[in-house]
Amino acid sequence: MNKNYLFLAGLMIVLAAGLLVLPERENYVQIAPEDLMWDAVQQTKFFNVDQVAGMIINNDPTLMLVDVRGQKDFNEFSLKNSINIPLDSLLSPNYEDYLGIEDMNVVFYANDNIKADRAWVIGRRMGYHNLYIMEGGLNSWINCIIKPQKPDEAQPSSAFAQYEFRKGASIYFTGAELKTADKKNSVKVVKRKKGSAVAGGC
Amino acid sequence: MHVHELNPKRTIITMIIFVVVIVVGLFTLTSPRLKYKISPVEAVTTLADDNLGVDASNIDNMLSGSTTPTILIDIRNNYDYARGHIPSAENISAVELLSVDNIKRLNELKNSNISVVIYGDTPIQANGPWLVLQQLGFSNIKYLLGGYEYYLRFKEAAKDDHCVPAFENGNAEYNYAEIAKANSGGSIESSATSEKKHTIVRRKKKGAATAGGC
Repeated sequence: MNKNYLFLAGLMIVLAAGLLVLPERENYVQIAPEDLMWDAVQQTKFFNVDQVAGMIINNDPTLMLVDVRGQKDFNEFSLKNSINIPLDSLLSPNYEDYLGIEDMNVVFYANDNIKADRAWVIGRRMGYHNLYIMEGGLNSWINCIIKPQKPDEAQPSSAFAQYEFRKGASIYFTGAELKTADKKNSVKVVKRKKGSAVAGGC
Repeated sequence: MHVHELNPKRTIITMIIFVVVIVVGLFTLTSPRLKYKISPVEAVTTLADDNLGVDASNIDNMLSGSTTPTILIDIRNNYDYARGHIPSAENISAVELLSVDNIKRLNELKNSNISVVIYGDTPIQANGPWLVLQQLGFSNIKYLLGGYEYYLRFKEAAKDDHCVPAFENGNAEYNYAEIAKANSGGSIESSATSEKKHTIVRRKKKGAATAGGC
């Protein structure tokens, strides 16, 4: 056999062996830093607290609330139906399945924006879509939903509509008026009995 | 009779071209301009550090060069920058920060150990771009805690020596569990809070047929 063939075959095998030293392919598709930066400065990554409250009340099936605070804070208080993924274990394999669900809107929240935004940036880099941040976090949640401020008289009617919504939401989330709702004053009226046919009357 | 037997050098030439194509392909195939220097897992662990931002009270000190040399970058758009900015800050919007020239400049700054502080109107505006740059390996970049709005308030308050208002620092403003627990309802004005007693109205019974009358 020609020596050249042997040489060529040997070279092919050596090159093929080079594939072994290629870095292991990650099982996620990272998005380019330029795209990540572009996405990170958009306002569309926010849901405001009114939108989140509306989705919770309407039992929106596409909503997944993720609390990125520590476990202790989560146990003390959390929003209805939210799950806890502390920021430092965001990428642990236990929680991987929660973020990548198709058609689910994952909404991160923390005390304020910062932690939720960091979770958002990391998650977005991993190529997860439909990630959002609850704007203002739980501080805004308390200020706007649980303790709504009555708008001035000069405000447009939409502000009053929003106030009405927030008041209703506050009742929904705290159960504030439920106690008084079923406590109607019952007035017992005792009707006079007629003694006999001839009893009364002028 | 094979072709190469006519010209033994042909095999060598084919092999060389073959190897060159593969090597060139390996080095140019997927080589994006910007690459993440740290993995997502490492990025998460760096976030555990509490000392990632720069407080407004330190800005003047840092700029005057008493510690490490520092430059300020305003990442808002041109209009906002023109309306007012921190003295000596330069304006490069967040997206432009990743342009070829600016990345080169940031690399030079990093290599000469100059720290960079970026800021936007609010802390949240600078936080995302900061975290992207952090993942690109620019560990010399920090962000201004509280942003420009807080800086202005800080300057205002520092003049009067009043207490400085709080900025977004990740703390809870309320004890959420206390405020949002059922039946608190302090905020909602509810009528009829006190329980009324049952009122039983009794009417006088007529005694007998002869009892009444006008």
